[in-house]
Amino acid sequence: MGAIEGILTGFEVAFSWEGILFVLLGVFVGTFIGMLPGLGPISAIAIMIPITYGMDPTLALVMMAGVYYGAVFGGSTSSILLNAPGISGTVASSFDGYPMAQQGKAGKALAIAAISSFAGGTISVVLLMIFAPMLASVAISFGPPAYFALMLLGLTAIASLSEGSTIKALISAVVGFMIATIGIDPQTGTGRFTFGSMNLLDGIDFLVIALGLFAIAEVCYLVMNRHKSSAGSGKEIGSLKLSKDDAKEMSGPVGRQSLLGFILGILPGAGATIASFISYIAEKRIAKKPEEFGKGSVKGLAAPEASNNAATSGAFVPLLSLGIPGSGTTAVMLGAFLVLGLEPGPMLMGDHPEVFWGIIASMYIGNIFLLVLNLPLIPYIARILTIPRPLLISLVLMFSLIGVYAISFSVFDLYLLLAFGVIGFLMRMFAFPAPPFILAFILGGMMEQSFRQSMTISNGSISIMFENNISLVLIILSVLSFSFPIAKSIWSKKKVS
Amino acid sequence: MKKLLALSIFLLMLLFLAACGGEDTLSNDDNANDEDTKENSGEDNGGWTPSESIEMVAPAGAGGGWDTTARMSAQALTEESMIDQDMGVVNKEGAGGAIGWAYMAEQEGSNHDLFVSSSPILLVPLNGQSEYGHEDFTPIANVIADYGAFAVAEDAKWDNLNELFEDMKEDPQSVTIVGTSAPGSMDHIQFVRFAKAAGVDITKIKYVSAPDAGGVTQVLNGSADVFSTGVAEVAEQVRADKLKVLAVTSEERLDGEVLSTFPTAKEQGIDETFVNWRGFFGPKDMDPAAVEYYENKFKELSDSEAFADVRSNYGWNEMYMGSEEYKQFLDEEKENLKSILEELGLLE
Amino acid sequence: MLQGVNRKIGLILAILSIGYLYMSYQLPTYSYIPVDADAVPKTLGWVLLVLSVALIFSKDNDSEEQKAKRRIPKTDVKALLGVVALLLIYIMLFETLGFIIMTVLFVYFCSWFLGYKSHIVNAIVSIVFPVAIYSIFVFMLQIKLPQGILPF
Repeated sequence: MGAIEGILTGFEVAFSWEGILFVLLGVFVGTFIGMLPGLGPISAIAIMIPITYGMDPTLALVMMAGVYYGAVFGGSTSSILLNAPGISGTVASSFDGYPMAQQGKAGKALAIAAISSFAGGTISVVLLMIFAPMLASVAISFGPPAYFALMLLGLTAIASLSEGSTIKALISAVVGFMIATIGIDPQTGTGRFTFGSMNLLDGIDFLVIALGLFAIAEVCYLVMNRHKSSAGSGKEIGSLKLSKDDAKEMSGPVGRQSLLGFILGILPGAGATIASFISYIAEKRIAKKPEEFGKGSVKGLAAPEASNNAATSGAFVPLLSLGIPGSGTTAVMLGAFLVLGLEPGPMLMGDHPEVFWGIIASMYIGNIFLLVLNLPLIPYIARILTIPRPLLISLVLMFSLIGVYAISFSVFDLYLLLAFGVIGFLMRMFAFPAPPFILAFILGGMMEQSFRQSMTISNGSISIMFENNISLVLIILSVLSFSFPIAKSIWSKKKVS
Repeated sequence: MKKLLALSIFLLMLLFLAACGGEDTLSNDDNANDEDTKENSGEDNGGWTPSESIEMVAPAGAGGGWDTTARMSAQALTEESMIDQDMGVVNKEGAGGAIGWAYMAEQEGSNHDLFVSSSPILLVPLNGQSEYGHEDFTPIANVIADYGAFAVAEDAKWDNLNELFEDMKEDPQSVTIVGTSAPGSMDHIQFVRFAKAAGVDITKIKYVSAPDAGGVTQVLNGSADVFSTGVAEVAEQVRADKLKVLAVTSEERLDGEVLSTFPTAKEQGIDETFVNWRGFFGPKDMDPAAVEYYENKFKELSDSEAFADVRSNYGWNEMYMGSEEYKQFLDEEKENLKSILEELGLLE
Repeated sequence: MLQGVNRKIGLILAILSIGYLYMSYQLPTYSYIPVDADAVPKTLGWVLLVLSVALIFSKDNDSEEQKAKRRIPKTDVKALLGVVALLLIYIMLFETLGFIIMTVLFVYFCSWFLGYKSHIVNAIVSIVFPVAIYSIFVFMLQIKLPQGILPF
């Protein structure tokens, strides 16, 4: 069967009434799960597996895929409104989404997120459909040196992520990296910095840190301003209206970051979280007014939102074309394939074109449904912010507590949440920026591991980093990215003198 | 002043509730004990049966092997009405299982708590990362066996295990082994066992751990040489001519169109096997009558058609062992693993 | 005084980095791996030590706006400590008393404590939200939350 025929079969499945029904069900459950604290696509899909047992495999998988990208779509809501990300892929969306909502433009922020997500999702499905079979080779092209170089490139942006003291930004980053070293070291099996506690053997979950540093620390400031009225009035707050300028501002980042997010999503291990951070940084780097980032910039919200949704579609490339799950969620989906009697692998496309293309084709409909489901709800959801401050504070705290508890079902993590909340509050008080901390935490762990994997493979020779084209290019980019701001500042000083 | 009032009322109410709570749980326990004694008195006539819903713990997150086994067996057991009580699956995730085992250790003496485990319950305590090992629980029944496979890229220079081990004997540093989990855990140890049997210096083996499917990726792109993993993980890659399997760890060749083409190590002259068994355990001091009850139910499950379907979907093999036999098997296996870890210097 | 802030933070961070370094040097080493488990932590520890020393000797360049954040009025300190205390109690009794009871009480009293006066609305909100979330998790999604002393 040729590719065109396959695509047609896929559309036939996706546009059948059952197909449409299951996509709708999937994205509905997905958005809902994404909005709920602590529940991510992994647990949602795992819960669904026994339920779908015996169902038509294509329909079941179309639904689960819907849950996956629906959750990433819905996860931004709490990031933007409460500074409390529900899933890790939407942490970066709070950087500019939350300030925007605090300026009384919650409706606008949610609309930007929804539209960027939709665009990111749709652009990446088009890419997925055209290039999936070819992209399979991209998915496996990254060896440990290339991953190391990619993480290095991400980390060189730390300086650009923050204003103010460079020393403080670096300290934040180093401490974030240190936190990432807690837990069992995969290369030796040694527990590091666990203080003999079982609870720390797996390291600290990213969401615990994000909710602590952002949501809880923010709550402290809300407590101090508890008598001020809430952000914006009821009418204004829910307004979805985007001006032409906004649309114009969004289009660039959405286009670029959909592409970048998609490519990063393809790489096993990278995924939506890393993609959204890298896209945010990339967009800030090329922006004409980078100082607007972090203060409610349209670009700063559109970039991670387009990127995380695009990365979600990208993650289907290795899963569908190679049977390689690059993340926790796709690994659970791989399990779902097995339950349904399918064998995911390089032969799937040939053996079961209706599954392969059906899932991809259904994503078009799924993304449209998500937009249509979400936009009309925005004015209502945005009103959460009109809740009186004291009540809102309690609810944000509740949200964060459940969010953390539902990750690991351990009270220990709740104490950690509180601890990171206090750290986050102190960091703000003394002007230590949080984004470098978070960035070093998510990139640092992977950077260390891929570095040491490379060293083991090469028997300790550093030259392995320069032998591979991908890693060589990425390392050159890192050097440029690191030296560019320094050169720029020297240049401007010379000009002044 | 108001604030203080709010705080103090909050505290008072909590104290009150905590006090009530204590009593409540106590009385619940009493009830449970009453029922248990009732059943125990009726034991002479018909044996033990569960009197309340059964909790099945997967000491791992949703979606993994333990979780799937727990959910699929609970579903089959209740849907085929082998067990009349509800069976709820609870995930106690963390520390490679240690969190779940610590939780189960608290359920000592309970007859309504079960959990799933496999090789890590032997390896993790040996690595010093869990206080509890299989000795602290009651092995009930083993139901599933998985086998490991050693896969290399399709165009690799080795065509069988002996060629690989010959090269490794000459220069162990020239070959990189990749697996999903850390050194001292399953993927690593299964390879080491075979390498040892073939006479390779196991202290010099280069092993890389790569989570998130990094293993298959690294072998496909040539970063690493040998992927040590489960058979199911590589079967499709072999069918697509991307990888080839040098050996499987089972005693005899496996069933299945692709699987049966994989040679065993044994037929290549390396006398070693490795089973990743998976079964059910109860807490310490479980009532022997209850153990017998569950043992029979899991036998029934293992023989049922519904579970045979589950097995074939997941590529699992049948391997039933009753409580006694299981315990003995585990003891022997642990000794065996201990000596290997000792030699590698990984024993805590 | 202002330079004092950086000096103090720098000192605390330096102590932390020394503690971290000490632990890094305690890590077991293995012979079969070229870059061991302690390499990256040792590097990080030294880097942090250097940075914190640099911080001790650096001027406080923060803006006035930023400095204003450091002055917290006494009433706010009390409010913050009160919320932290409520959170601690919540966490401590969470599994004993169960999700519903603790969350209902927490939301109600936390809002009251922070000055929310409409008790009826407060009561409704603090009951409806936790119960709704609990039902979604436990009954719809079959994910257990601590039930505590309640029978469901």
